[in-house]
Amino acid sequence: MPAADSHLHPTRPKAPAEAIARPRVGVAKLTSCDGCQLTILDLEDHLLEIAAAFEIVEFPEATSNRSSGPYDVLLVEGSVSTPEQVEWITELRRRAGILVTIGACATAGGIQALRNWGNEPAWRASVYPRPELLETLATSTAISDHVVVDAELRGCPIDPHQLLELLASLRVGRRPQLADEAVCLACKRRGTVCVVVAEGIPCLGPVTQTGCGAICPAFGRGCYACFGPKEQANVESLAAWFAEHGVDETSVPRLFAGFTAYAPPFREQAERATRHAHGQKERTDA
Amino acid sequence: MVTGAAEARFLPRSQLQVLIDLLAEDGRRVIGPTVADGAVVYDEVRSPDDLPVGLRDEQAPGSYRLVETGTPRVFDVTVGMTSWKRYTFPPIVPLTRASREDGHLSLESSAETPELLAFLGVRGCELAALRVQDRVLAGGPFVDTDYLDRRQSSLVVAAQCTRAAKTCFCTSMGTGPEAGEGADLVLTELDDGFLVESRSPMGDQLLDRLPADLAEPAQQTAARLAVAATRESIGNPVATEGLHDRLLDALDSPRWQEVADRCLACANCTLVCPTCFCTSVTQRADLDTSTIVAERSWDSCFTAGFAKVAGGSFRSRRQDRYRQWLTHKFATWIDQFGTSGCVGCGRCISWCPVGIDVREELEAIAPPAEGLRKHPQLAGGTGPATYSIGTIRSIAAETADTYSLVIDGIDPTITNGTPGQFLMVEQPGFPAFPISISRYGLDHVVLTVRAAGPATSHLVHSEPGTEIGLRGPLGVGWPVERALGRDVVIATGGIGLAPLRPLIDALVSARDRFGRVRLHYGARTPRDMLYTDELASWPELGIEVALTVDRAGPEWLGRVGVVTQLFDQDDWRGQPAVAYLCGPERMMQVAVRTVGERGIPAERTFVSLERHMECGIGLCGHCQMGKVFVCRDGPVFSVAQLGDALNVEGL
Amino acid sequence: MHESTGAGPGLVPPAATGGRDGEVRFEVAELTRVEGEGSLKLVVRDGEVVEAQLAIFEAPRYFEQLVVGRTPDEVIDIVARICGICPVAYQMSAVHAFEDLFGVTVDPAVRVLRRLLYCGEWIESHALHIYLLHAPDFLGYPSALEMAADHRDLVAQGLRLKRLGNRIIEVLGGRAIHPVSVRVGGFSRAPRRRELEALLPDLEAAIPEAQATLDWVAGLEPPDFVRDPLLLSLSHPHEYPYNDGRIVSNDGIDVGPDEWGSAFHEEQVAWSHALQARSHSGEMYLLGPSARVTLSPETLHPLAAEGLARVGMADEIRRNVFRSIVARGVELLHAIAEARDIVAAYAEPDVIRAPWTPRAGVAAWATEAPRGLLFHRYELDGDGLVRHAQIVPPTSQNQGAIERDLAGFAPGIMSLPHAEATHRFEQLIRSYDPCISCATHFLDLRIEEAGEPAP
Repeated sequence: MPAADSHLHPTRPKAPAEAIARPRVGVAKLTSCDGCQLTILDLEDHLLEIAAAFEIVEFPEATSNRSSGPYDVLLVEGSVSTPEQVEWITELRRRAGILVTIGACATAGGIQALRNWGNEPAWRASVYPRPELLETLATSTAISDHVVVDAELRGCPIDPHQLLELLASLRVGRRPQLADEAVCLACKRRGTVCVVVAEGIPCLGPVTQTGCGAICPAFGRGCYACFGPKEQANVESLAAWFAEHGVDETSVPRLFAGFTAYAPPFREQAERATRHAHGQKERTDA
Repeated sequence: MVTGAAEARFLPRSQLQVLIDLLAEDGRRVIGPTVADGAVVYDEVRSPDDLPVGLRDEQAPGSYRLVETGTPRVFDVTVGMTSWKRYTFPPIVPLTRASREDGHLSLESSAETPELLAFLGVRGCELAALRVQDRVLAGGPFVDTDYLDRRQSSLVVAAQCTRAAKTCFCTSMGTGPEAGEGADLVLTELDDGFLVESRSPMGDQLLDRLPADLAEPAQQTAARLAVAATRESIGNPVATEGLHDRLLDALDSPRWQEVADRCLACANCTLVCPTCFCTSVTQRADLDTSTIVAERSWDSCFTAGFAKVAGGSFRSRRQDRYRQWLTHKFATWIDQFGTSGCVGCGRCISWCPVGIDVREELEAIAPPAEGLRKHPQLAGGTGPATYSIGTIRSIAAETADTYSLVIDGIDPTITNGTPGQFLMVEQPGFPAFPISISRYGLDHVVLTVRAAGPATSHLVHSEPGTEIGLRGPLGVGWPVERALGRDVVIATGGIGLAPLRPLIDALVSARDRFGRVRLHYGARTPRDMLYTDELASWPELGIEVALTVDRAGPEWLGRVGVVTQLFDQDDWRGQPAVAYLCGPERMMQVAVRTVGERGIPAERTFVSLERHMECGIGLCGHCQMGKVFVCRDGPVFSVAQLGDALNVEGL
Repeated sequence: MHESTGAGPGLVPPAATGGRDGEVRFEVAELTRVEGEGSLKLVVRDGEVVEAQLAIFEAPRYFEQLVVGRTPDEVIDIVARICGICPVAYQMSAVHAFEDLFGVTVDPAVRVLRRLLYCGEWIESHALHIYLLHAPDFLGYPSALEMAADHRDLVAQGLRLKRLGNRIIEVLGGRAIHPVSVRVGGFSRAPRRRELEALLPDLEAAIPEAQATLDWVAGLEPPDFVRDPLLLSLSHPHEYPYNDGRIVSNDGIDVGPDEWGSAFHEEQVAWSHALQARSHSGEMYLLGPSARVTLSPETLHPLAAEGLARVGMADEIRRNVFRSIVARGVELLHAIAEARDIVAAYAEPDVIRAPWTPRAGVAAWATEAPRGLLFHRYELDGDGLVRHAQIVPPTSQNQGAIERDLAGFAPGIMSLPHAEATHRFEQLIRSYDPCISCATHFLDLRIEEAGEPAP
């Protein structure tokens, strides 16, 4: 079931009013790089504690113990890009009490969503001499475009602190505290000098959802929106500003053609960039 | 200026380290302006080398750069990105610790003992901000004890500004550049050191221990003049009189939607603001639920969750949030706390990623009523019968029918006029007429006159040495300060260049304070062009000159070639620019429209109008146009002021 | 491909005998404790292996097309997403390829920082593999979490080492997965000396822990499986191979790091989304820690060389792929020791990011990901934008060898109970530390024009 505005209202908790004593947790993967699952294993200082607090029943990367559910909490990374995955995520939804999508692939379609503007058949044929051996969809889309999602952790990859917060919230029984604001707040709390104002570097922080702790400006480069658009993302205004301040016209749309390119507020710019990049004509019915 | 208990002293630059060391006694950490990643931020200072030596800041909407000055001065920068609230009201502060043991709940304060700090280099606006936050956070029935503890643990050494950024408007908010109350010491930088004054008993003690002799009168004067010059350079960008009511009367203004179209709701303005105080409390994530810490962190009314309740958000639209911020800061804050929430530091202007300028927004949303506008150079005692005498020194032909007259021996108030003002010229027996001043000299002015009728012909055919009557300088001239830090577009035709020349002179005299400047000038034929020497030499002074001539027919206005042709070049657009237009009425109408289509807002498009004038001071009624008198409220107007009037036939 | 919905990738018991008489099938629908999605299928008929497939069913993402029309710095950000465990390797192969084409010389301190960054990734990846993915096989646990119940200190040690690797990447690149600071010409930010110094105590403490790790894995009993593989890696005269060196094999291949294509090509096989690499003479090579330790032992850090000598397994590492865990132990020790040396001597570079100008041409380079040689090749146009890309991950190069080894290993374990034999096959696959998210590759086919948008 599509939830087209899920990018704008990412958290729809089914509100388990009570905490679950030792939740049964599963981890599944669709089309992705594995980085978001790995973030779980990257909580090294907390991993054994997590294993005590949660019963990890299904996590193929980490354990040969398998379970086909049901799960109290199911974390799913990866976008939907094959017909099989469409069926599979529907099945997983049935088996999960709380379904949490993790990462830009699962929440926005990922970088591979750049194929969504009609390129997929050509790309598949250009990569594989026998493309008919593969079953893929023309699009790579967010899981929330297919099933109802209870909570989202955005990011490419997700942020370990937000992951901990999600797990902690499950323990307590509260809604996860995932701030719905621009990266700029994290930068300013940190005291990082704004790269847009002080150096004229294009940075998408003002239209991007916070969550990473504002890493990129702290490291001297602009944010590239791997956490996706914040609510009320004013893409036109920021794009116009960059176009007037040193970023040439063909490069501005490319700024938005990144890891959350298919999120609705970025889509128009990303489509323009992708068509230009591949020498395609602009859509005339746009 | 508040005087301290002790007399002012002078600390040589070489002894600045001693001051820092004194401040650092008792384990105090000295915090002052330092340079990081291209901006001034407040951080630990151990020696004068940590300060922004030899740097000054260039600020404009959405832009901040540091530039080298080649001097040893440390306070040529103004305000940087951070404000002192980073230390008095830190971004993240632990509040309470909750724990359960054996079924008992305990909730304890997590307050930390604040460290001892000394703030070095607090500006007038920032002192005012500290006073504002004192009122908000510690002046009511409930006190933020963490804030109060930190304030009481900090020494304050102020620095009066001897330079202003283009985004400063402390003068309008009454907060600077002079340091007001709340400092222990006040420094004013001179070339070879600092005037040091005490403002508290602690300051007296510190002053005593500094290797600083009593300041000489010349040093005190130099300091006073430096601060006064700063005040002068800022002017008065925001009309604060009645602003509270004007804003609250404008809650339905369509302008809110316009600014919302640009606003990103990114919250930068609120987080760099030294008085914004909104916060949220979050629970720190912990898998072990036996102990949970709650933290307070900076938040902003621009975020989605700020006004959320179970049923939704009270302020879901960007325009609601922007309106909330502006009206709270400039209006309802006064109702709550007795003063404006804004101290005019200008940070929100520079650090807005898309350069939204509150000064402009206030002007657009809540413009001061006509008549409240200050007339900078009203000659004292000017009435319908008053004239002073001037002498024609020379007359030179510019074109076949236009002449430039140098007039000297004039009242000094005339040479103190501003670009765009005009004089009423009186010759016995002839009707008086208005002429724009086309150049200011030290002891003379230049009037460029077209011999269009008997009175003007008589003037231009007078002999040098002839005395004439002058009233003025009159009218509201070109607002040059609106162009600070921006690109400038000037479009004019024929004799319209005359009232614009003093504007160009002003731009040239301080060229580096403005962006790109381009003059578009058209005339019927090359021989109809004024000031041909200058047209050739202005490019070397940084003024781009684009000329056009149109020989087709007597009514060249019909084609308005100058405007459409010259705006064909595509290399500037919109937001950052200011436009000054003067010429035949139809040319101006088209120019206004074209410039508007290119994105220059009506508040930053200025026109100079011509009307029949007899008195020049709004008493004879001839030049009345809608709500204004062109002579007294103009002749320069912003297009926003005129609204539709410019296009209404016969108005 | 893999099992469809219905049962889904839940527990699928290995298929016992079925089908024709004398045919034994070993199938695991979804391999666990490997990175990425792969399945095992092995069919033995009348004592002969007739099918050995490591099928990769990762959904393709077409990275070689995603980078078309993008700038070099954008490409660095994009290709990191090919893999969540080794993003640094992708960034390194890409950045070196571009710098080679543009003629950029980085500050020497930048070169050192890049080695440090790679040390971080090797530490994280090898610790992950040794402790979480592979060791449970040797000790008979389904996962490290169960292993921790009986061996808590051991697992905690592994997690500490892994954390240290991640912290190094975080200090240099902002975050451990998909770091943000690698740019053409260097880094977008130089770490402050005090930030790196903060790692020093833990690096010092990690050295004995890495030595203990090496001793421990050397003591794990592997299945007996000896062959004489062809090995391939970078090799450099002065340093253990990370970012630079020549591509060499133990049978005489010796080409520049940009010349992979002169010795190898890729083929598609019917059962896999991943293309497989072969040398032009049809050989399959083994890449990764075993290859590196065998081909470049003289450039190991002295502490690692001493460790290798102490456990005395150089020859076994070469011949028995199950001993790859020991090679990883040697390299883990090397990476920690080299990281410690770099941090102790660090001085901030004068130029953290050298200026550069793009130019048209071919940018190609190979660096050593934790799992082996990773080769990138890009064609750039006059605007400095990518027009064509070829990315060859180590797993696609290893895959032929893995399947050949599966077939070679089978006869020796046919007599074991079916479930245990299947488990041994899985353990064999895990020895290669396959990283199979990197499932998109580009053959040398060009599309002259992009196709019309799909209706």
